[in-house]
Amino acid sequence: MPARLVNTLKALWRRDDWERDLDDELRLHVEQRAEHLVRTGMAPQEARRRARLELGSRETYREQCRRSAGLRWFDELRQDLRYTLRTLRKSPGFLAVAVLSLALGIGANTVVFSIVNTMLLRGLPVRSPGRIFFVQGPGHSFPNYRDLRDRNTTFSGMIGYRVAQLGIETRDGPRRLWGYLATGNYFDVLGVQPVVGRFFHAEDDLKPGASPYAVLSYAAWQSRFAGDAAIAGKTVRINALPYTILGVAPAGFYGTELVYWPDVWIPMMMQPIIEGRSWLDNRYTFNTWVAGRLRDGVTPQQATANLNSIAQTLSHDFPAENAGLKFGLARPGLVGDMLRGTVQAFLAGIMMLAGLVLLAACANLASLLAARTMDRHFEIAIRLSIGAGRGRILRQLLTEALSIAMLGGAAGLGLAYGVLNLIGHAPPPIDFPVRFDCPPDLRVLLFAFAASLVTGLIFGVAPARRAVSTDPNGALRGSTAGRNSHRRWAPRDFLLAAQVALCCFLVTACFVSVRGLSHAFETPVGLAARGLNVAAFDMELAHYSREEGARFQRRALDAVWQLPGVTAAAYGNSVPLWVDQSRSEVFSEQDTGRRNRGMAAIHYDASPGYLAAMGTRLVAGRDFTWHDDRKAPLVGIVNQTFARVILKTPDAVGRRYRIGTGGPLMEVIGIVEDGKYESLTEMPRPVFFRSVAQNYNNTTVLLMRSSLPEAEAAAQLRKVMATLDPRLPVYALGSINQLLGLAYFPARTATAALTAFGLLAVMLAVTGIYGLAAYTVSRRVREIGVRVAVGAQPWQVLRSVMGRIGTLLLVGCCAGLAMGLASTRLLASIVYQATPRDPMVLGAVAATMALVALAAAWVPARRAVSVDPIRSLRHE
Amino acid sequence: MSETAAILPGTLDLLILKSASLGPLHGYGVLLRIEQISGGALQIEQGALYPALYRLEHQGLIAGEWGTSDNNRRAKFYQLTTAGRKRLREQTAGWERLVTAMTAALSARREEV
Repeated sequence: MPARLVNTLKALWRRDDWERDLDDELRLHVEQRAEHLVRTGMAPQEARRRARLELGSRETYREQCRRSAGLRWFDELRQDLRYTLRTLRKSPGFLAVAVLSLALGIGANTVVFSIVNTMLLRGLPVRSPGRIFFVQGPGHSFPNYRDLRDRNTTFSGMIGYRVAQLGIETRDGPRRLWGYLATGNYFDVLGVQPVVGRFFHAEDDLKPGASPYAVLSYAAWQSRFAGDAAIAGKTVRINALPYTILGVAPAGFYGTELVYWPDVWIPMMMQPIIEGRSWLDNRYTFNTWVAGRLRDGVTPQQATANLNSIAQTLSHDFPAENAGLKFGLARPGLVGDMLRGTVQAFLAGIMMLAGLVLLAACANLASLLAARTMDRHFEIAIRLSIGAGRGRILRQLLTEALSIAMLGGAAGLGLAYGVLNLIGHAPPPIDFPVRFDCPPDLRVLLFAFAASLVTGLIFGVAPARRAVSTDPNGALRGSTAGRNSHRRWAPRDFLLAAQVALCCFLVTACFVSVRGLSHAFETPVGLAARGLNVAAFDMELAHYSREEGARFQRRALDAVWQLPGVTAAAYGNSVPLWVDQSRSEVFSEQDTGRRNRGMAAIHYDASPGYLAAMGTRLVAGRDFTWHDDRKAPLVGIVNQTFARVILKTPDAVGRRYRIGTGGPLMEVIGIVEDGKYESLTEMPRPVFFRSVAQNYNNTTVLLMRSSLPEAEAAAQLRKVMATLDPRLPVYALGSINQLLGLAYFPARTATAALTAFGLLAVMLAVTGIYGLAAYTVSRRVREIGVRVAVGAQPWQVLRSVMGRIGTLLLVGCCAGLAMGLASTRLLASIVYQATPRDPMVLGAVAATMALVALAAAWVPARRAVSVDPIRSLRHE
Repeated sequence: MSETAAILPGTLDLLILKSASLGPLHGYGVLLRIEQISGGALQIEQGALYPALYRLEHQGLIAGEWGTSDNNRRAKFYQLTTAGRKRLREQTAGWERLVTAMTAALSARREEV
């Protein structure tokens, strides 16, 4: 079989030679035959004539030879393509609308698929990624990791790693760096090779504090060290201590978590130095992420069983820390299964939307194409009646549809590349080295191609089949089936209604989420973000002791108060809705903790004035003062939910509670209003504040409310921090909103996606409606002319021509709105307070759809009412 | 003409393969060779010859090569390929089986039944 294809392709490659050879051969044959006949005694002229006759019609003959050589199929394809090109060039408007619709539909799908590909399908950038598994935790204690690593029999290697925030000294002052603390075998187990220098190995990671080495990521090497080829062996100061740079990781390597792109890897044994207190021998701290490479021939099930038998021993030996310990394996990349579910659900939703948009594009094209083939029924009838096979015509129409699909697919792919490039280079929406780098690969290319092909078939087959099933006799006599078709409902009418419904649904969803998002920005979250600047830093990164750290924090606060325009200033360890939240179990004084478990409450360490600076209202009692220090009794401020749920009284001032069952009692001195602390869609939850004078915390967020413009105030704050300690890395300096990014991230992403798809749907609906309206008008020009001639008014003409499209639009809109209403609950879980039962939303949807209809039908309607009866009647 | 026999459908390919197996031939030569080896009993219709040649060439059973004919004209000579030789053997064997069977069937007499 392949040999035949090769032969055919060879013939195609030298097609002109092939044809010439055939001619030569036939000519020779005729000459030889003639000579032969002369030898038998025939007159030369008669012999030549006879020879030619015997061979038969030369062209038929050649055609048969071409078919024998397998060239016929390609010849027909070429004919079809040439014909398609010619017809399409004659209707550039149709081509533009078709290609644009498809480019949008296929482009959207390619973008989404590319993201799915990166997030869920593609393996990690390591050697045989399919053998790497994440040990579900998400965290494990480091001693447990050690035991797992040393006792298992199913993994060829097991690594432990942990996200670390670091401060690095550069010429322009200290900068924050994101990195991994990783066990020595990290690179060897993953099977990665350095591009410069070397990596650290197991023997470099034996004694705590003894391996001040760093491996740079490719991006960090490029951006911070200008790609210095002689970087290996140089020294950098990280957290004020010298580290030797061993080497650089390859360009695409980012470790084992898809969304975290670290700048640097440091051996795990440096943990006590980096983080200030060691948990390397502590079975209480479940801080290490663990992944491993399965031995050859071992199944994940066997490995899980193996790990769980170790777990049994561990929980037997250390019942207090490891009670009920159980392990599972997960595919790596999304912190085990922690993020996978959310990501999958989100992407499935988006993929569905993209599919719907593509379906709308298909519907559009099918109806455009149906209208077109309807117009060409005369031509097709002629071709059928002079003997063209139905199969042949079907193939020609399909070629046309597929050509359009491929053009649209190519345009869509280009569009997708552009969008993906934009997404890949966008700055991360939150204060985290997250990257959404989804470079399209071969799989994406294949996907786009398949999508185009399937699309072409979907929108091409139905009209083509209908076209060839028409009766040529009737069509040629002029009694066209199409002539009366506007009295009946055709499938393309339903397509249009469905498309309008989809468009309306997406527009509704889009408005609902936009409205919800603006609600979310306005709702009281227990803080007033406007005019509030922050500077976040960690005393640990510059090696301050507790006392020095506390003194520095006070000094910074005093310096900020000296700035002009400052109306409030304070500091705490964190702010609500930031990534960094701490929580502890809390018991009221009455609760001995034996009967029931305590309740988890989020807590903050706050300076006096913190609540005022944040804009959090105190509803009872008093704020902290600097006298609430170590010598004074322990005090706390709680929110209303804390008072109600844990202290069981709204009037809780004076009540006492403790952290854990054995902690010291703290007295409530004030109650504040509830806010949002972890996400905008959360239920009210208990929160308490501690005094910084009683609880030192090295993580610091300095708050400054100023009457000056935000940017100006931020510049002042930056200057103050630089003069106080130029070596302290300050991150997230500026408006507090940059710390809140994470809280708004899901809603923002959902809104952006819905808006994009809403826009797409609107564009598709406009082209769809326009296509059908224009087609209807152009088919009925003659009829309109008659109507006008016998005295119809413009509005009567409009009603007769556009009435049906109007009905379709109305039905579609109602259906779409109903779908929008039905999907409220899904939306509300992502976007805060999203509800379509909002007159604003309903009004906006109605207005948009009216605008869409108007924009799409305006030109055809103008054309309908401006039909000149005389010209239109002469037209045929 | 009454001496010639119409060839059975499907046997043209076999005849072409056979004649090409006896030495390289151009198109008209194939025609003559078939007449010759069948003792003039089989005549090929000229209209069917070249499509059959191209089909066999396409299937890789014969290979055409350009050379010069007896009186110095450019001509395409067909030659059997290895695949063609194998096919010829198979088809010849098949044909012989058919002939034996047909002969046996046609020469059957009443008493043998």
